[in-house]
Amino acid sequence: MKPKVAVIQFPGSNCEEETLRAAIAGGMEGEIFRFSRPAEELATFDGYILPGGFAHQDRVRAGAVAAKEPIMDAVVAGAEKGKPVLGICNGAQVLIESGLVPGLEEGDVQMSLATNLMGDRLGFYHIFVHIAQSSSQGSNITNRLTPEGVVLPIPIAHAEGRFVTANQKVTTSIESGKLSCWRYADRGGTLEEEYPRNPNGSFMALAGLSNPKGNVVAMMPHPERVCWLWQVPLDLPGEWGERRRKATGDAEALDSEGPGMVIFRSFTEYLK
Amino acid sequence: MAESEKDTGKDPRTLLPKNEFERLTDLLGREPNYVEATIFSIMWSEHCSYKSSREVLKLLPTEAPNVVLGPGEDAGAVHFTTHEGKEWCLVVAHESHNHPSQILPVEGAATGIGGIVRDVYCMGARVIAVMDPLRFGDPRGEYAERSKFIIGGVVDGIWGYGNPIGVPNMGGSCYLHKGYDDNCLVNVVAVGICPSDELIHSRVPAVAYQVPYVFVLVGKATDDTGFGGASFASEILDEEEEFGAVQLHDPFLKRVLTVATYEVLKEARQRGIEVGFKDLGAGGIVCATSELGAKGGFGATIELDRVVCSMSDLPEEVIACSETQERYCWVVPQDFAPRVLEIYNEEFQLDSVYPGAGAVVIGRVSSEPVYEVTTREGTVCSVPIKAITEGISYTRERKGRAGQYPRPDINFNRITIEEIKAVLAHPDVCSRHKVFSHYDSTVQGCTILGAGQADAGVMAPLPGSPTAVAMASGGIPRYGLMDSWLAGAWAVWEAAANVAAVGARPQAVTDCLNYGNPEDAEVFDSFVSGVEGIAWACREVGLIEHEGAPLPIISGNVSFYNESAGGEAVPASPIVACLGTMEARRVLTPQLKQSGSRLILIGAREGKLGGSVIYQLLADTLGDAPPDLKKHNLGGLIGAIVSAAEEGLLLSAHDISEGGALACALEMAMGYDGSGRLGVKLKLPSQVDLTPKAFFFSEEPGFVVEVEERNLSKLSKKAQEFQVEMVEIGEVVSKPQFSLSLRDGESPLTIELDELAESWLSGLEGVLL
Repeated sequence: MKPKVAVIQFPGSNCEEETLRAAIAGGMEGEIFRFSRPAEELATFDGYILPGGFAHQDRVRAGAVAAKEPIMDAVVAGAEKGKPVLGICNGAQVLIESGLVPGLEEGDVQMSLATNLMGDRLGFYHIFVHIAQSSSQGSNITNRLTPEGVVLPIPIAHAEGRFVTANQKVTTSIESGKLSCWRYADRGGTLEEEYPRNPNGSFMALAGLSNPKGNVVAMMPHPERVCWLWQVPLDLPGEWGERRRKATGDAEALDSEGPGMVIFRSFTEYLK
Repeated sequence: MAESEKDTGKDPRTLLPKNEFERLTDLLGREPNYVEATIFSIMWSEHCSYKSSREVLKLLPTEAPNVVLGPGEDAGAVHFTTHEGKEWCLVVAHESHNHPSQILPVEGAATGIGGIVRDVYCMGARVIAVMDPLRFGDPRGEYAERSKFIIGGVVDGIWGYGNPIGVPNMGGSCYLHKGYDDNCLVNVVAVGICPSDELIHSRVPAVAYQVPYVFVLVGKATDDTGFGGASFASEILDEEEEFGAVQLHDPFLKRVLTVATYEVLKEARQRGIEVGFKDLGAGGIVCATSELGAKGGFGATIELDRVVCSMSDLPEEVIACSETQERYCWVVPQDFAPRVLEIYNEEFQLDSVYPGAGAVVIGRVSSEPVYEVTTREGTVCSVPIKAITEGISYTRERKGRAGQYPRPDINFNRITIEEIKAVLAHPDVCSRHKVFSHYDSTVQGCTILGAGQADAGVMAPLPGSPTAVAMASGGIPRYGLMDSWLAGAWAVWEAAANVAAVGARPQAVTDCLNYGNPEDAEVFDSFVSGVEGIAWACREVGLIEHEGAPLPIISGNVSFYNESAGGEAVPASPIVACLGTMEARRVLTPQLKQSGSRLILIGAREGKLGGSVIYQLLADTLGDAPPDLKKHNLGGLIGAIVSAAEEGLLLSAHDISEGGALACALEMAMGYDGSGRLGVKLKLPSQVDLTPKAFFFSEEPGFVVEVEERNLSKLSKKAQEFQVEMVEIGEVVSKPQFSLSLRDGESPLTIELDELAESWLSGLEGVLL
C-alpha cells in the first residue's frame, strides 16, 4: 500500500496543488488538508508536506503565525513519532518558526529565515540555482536515494530565505553532520558562500536543513517545480540542461523525471 | 418611479456635465437624486462606458472560427485544446492601471493585477499566468528620481501582489521614455483556462424567470476605497487630490477567496446549478449587479443595509459604488445561497482571514427591468436598468497631424564596437533580467519558459496534455511618437512574432489602447489610426489553421487621459498581447544551441531606420521613414517560422526588434541571462544592396534563426512556400566571441562576448534595486 501524505493548506498557501502532484508522482497517495479541518484528523496520515505560499500573509514574520496553530501541534506530534515532515519555502519558514528545525531542543526556535542579502538588490528573487547534497546518503528524508555531493538545479522564489542563527550549537551540529543539509553550490558541486551563487546570502550556504533525526527537513528551493524534465529551462547550463536540450521534440523524454522528483521519491522510500 | 425619500442635502447637478445631466433627466422623466447622479457619473465615465471609443472599436476583427467568447464580458475566450474528451479554452483579459500607479506605484500595480485576475476568475477559469506590459518615464532624465521611485514601486507591487496569489508572471515588457515621465503605463494581462462548456457568464441565467435568484456579495467588507476610481481613470491627473481614489489590495485574502470560489464553482457544476458571476471593479456593487441583471434581461433590487461595511456611516452612494478590492458578486438560486454562504463563511472562515470578510445575500433578481437600490429609509435609486448599462456615446472630432522626419546625418557605411555596445545597453534593448527575476514565473509547476527566457512565456497548464500555451506582448513607444497607425499594427505584429518565435501558432490577441485626452482632435485621430493599424495587422497576420480568418481580438480596454497636467499626451501606446498554442515538445528559445550551425535572417530588409534605436543613439532623432509594414508579408513570416519550428528545422529563433538583426543575433549568443558560451560570426551578405547600418540595425519585421546546415535547403523551400525572403548572415562558433565582417578583404570587427554581455546586462543599472 502506498503511504498517505497530507499537503497542509494554510490560509495563504499557494503551492499545494503542484506539491501534491509531485508527491503522487513520487509514489505517495495524498490529499490537500485544509486549515479548517479538525487537526486530530492529521494523525491518520503517514507524513506531512508544508507547501510554499504566504501562510497567514506572513504576518509578524514568514511562518510565525502558522507555526502556532493547532494544526502544527499535530504535525509536531507526528514528527516526534518519526513521521516525515517536509517544509518547502513558506513551509520551511513554518518549520523553523515552530522549532522543528533544527530541533536541537524541543520547542525552541533556534534559527530564522531572514530577508535575503543580495548585494545591491532588494526584494523577491526568482531564479534557478544549484543545490548540493552535503550530507551522507540517507541522513534525512530527502536524500535517501542520492549520494553525497549530488547536484540538482532547482528554482528559488522568495524574499526571506536566508538561514541565520546566533546559536553556536546549531553551527557545530551542522559542521559535525548531526544536522544534515542541502547547500547552494555551482553546477560542479563546489559550495558557494557568496552572492549570487548563494542567492540569498544564507548562513553556510544553507538551502535546506534537517532536524537531528533527519525526519524533518526545511528547504527553501522548490523541488515540486522541477519534477519533470520539461520543467527544466531549455538553456540551463550543465548536465540537466543538456538532457533537456536533447529531449527537444521527444514528448516521452520530456515527461521523464526532472531533478526535483528524487526528493519526493526519497520521502516515499523513508515510509517503506 | 419612486424618488429618494431622503434629502441628502447634496446637489446632484454637481456630479455630471450639464449635457449629461439633462440627458439623464430625459431618460428618467425627472431629475435624478444624488445617489442616482453618482451612479451615472461613474457608469457614464469613459472608463465604464467607452463613450468616445465604442464606435471606433467596431473596426476591430473579433470573429474567427476559434473564438469561444469575443469582447463584451469581463474576459474573452479562444479555443485551446481537446484533453480527455473535453474542449478547453484560454480565457484572457487585458487592462491598464496607469493613473493609480503614477500616484501610488505599489498599490496601483498590485490592484492592477488584482483586478485583472478577478476578470478571469469570474469566468469560471483557473488563472494560469499574468503579464505586465510597462512604460515608465526616463530614469536618467529630468524627473529621474520620480521615475525610479515609480519603477521600483510598480515592480514591488507586481511581485508583492502577484506572487502571493500564486499566479506565475510571464513577464510582459518594460520601456522607458521621457514621454511617460508624468504618466506611466501599467498594463496587465491575465490568462486562464476553462472547459469551454463550463464558462460562467456575467449575467443572470434565463432560468431566473422560473426560480428566484439572489445576489451574493463575497469578499472584503465594503469601505470607501477607490470610490470614484472609474471617473479618476477618466480624468487628467492631479496628483494631490487623488490618493483616496486608489484602491487597497489584499493578495492574501484574494488567495483564500479564490480557493473558496473554486469550491463553489465545483459544487455548482456538480449539481448542475446555473449561476452568474462577476468581479467588482469600477462602479462597485452597482456596476456588477446592474450588468449581471441587464445582460440576462432582468432587473435587480439591492438592499444596501445588508452590505457589510468596515466603516460606519458611509453614504449610500459610497456603499453602492466604492471599488473596495477583493470582492465578487454571485447570482445564484435562492435555495443554493445558504450553501454558498457556508463555503465562504464556515469552511473557509473568511472572517477570521480578514476581519469583516465573508459572503452575504444583498439583493434579488426581478423580472421587471428596473434597477432599484433600497435602504431601511426607502428607495434611493430606481431607474431603467439598461439606462445604467448601455451608457452613452460621443462622436469626437479627428484632426490629422503630419510629422516631419528628416534623414539624420550619420555614417551608414561602418559599424563600430562602441555603437554595438551602446545599442545593447540602450534601455529598449538591454536585459530585463533584473525586472523579471522579481516575478515568480514557476509557481503552479506548469511553466516551460518563464519570464524573459524567450520571446514568449510558455506553459503546459493541463497536466498530461501535450499542448502548451505561449503568451507575449508588443508595442513600441518610438513608433507611437511617429505614427499611431504603425504603432498599432506593429504591436500586433510584435506580439504575434514573439509567440511564433517560440514555435507557437498565434491564436488571438487582446489590446489595451493607452492615449491622451480624446476631446483633443489630434489625440482622437491618433487613437482611431491606432485602432485601424491593429485591425489591419490582425487581418494580415491571420490564423494559421483557418485561411482567410483574422487573428481575432477577443478582449481589450481603452485608457484615455494619459497625459500630464501640462497637457502633453503620452506617446500613442496601443499595447497588444497575443496567445498562441503549440506542441510543448517543440518549444524554441533564442539562445544558440550548437557551433557550426548557420544563422539565417528571414524577412525582407528595406533598410528603413526611422524610429530605430540606432537613430536615437547616434542622432537623437526619430529620423526618416519608419518600416513600411504594408511591404512586408506578415502572415507569411509567421507561417514560415511556425511551420519550420513544427517540423523541427530550427535550433533556435528570435524575432528582430529593437536594435535590429545585429542585436537580435547577439542576444541569441548571450542567452537570456548573459551566460551564453557560443559565439557568432556575422557577415554582410554579398547579395544585399543596403549599407551595413541599414541592414544590421533595421528593425523591420523578421526573424533570425539558427539552423543546421543539413536543414538549409528545407528551410529555403519553406521560405519559398510562404513567399518570404531569407538570407544567411553568419554562423555559430564555439569560441564565445563576436565578429562582424562587412566587406571581403577587410578584417572583421572582433570582440569577446562577455564584454558585450556586460553592456547588455548593465542597461538598467541604477534604475531598479
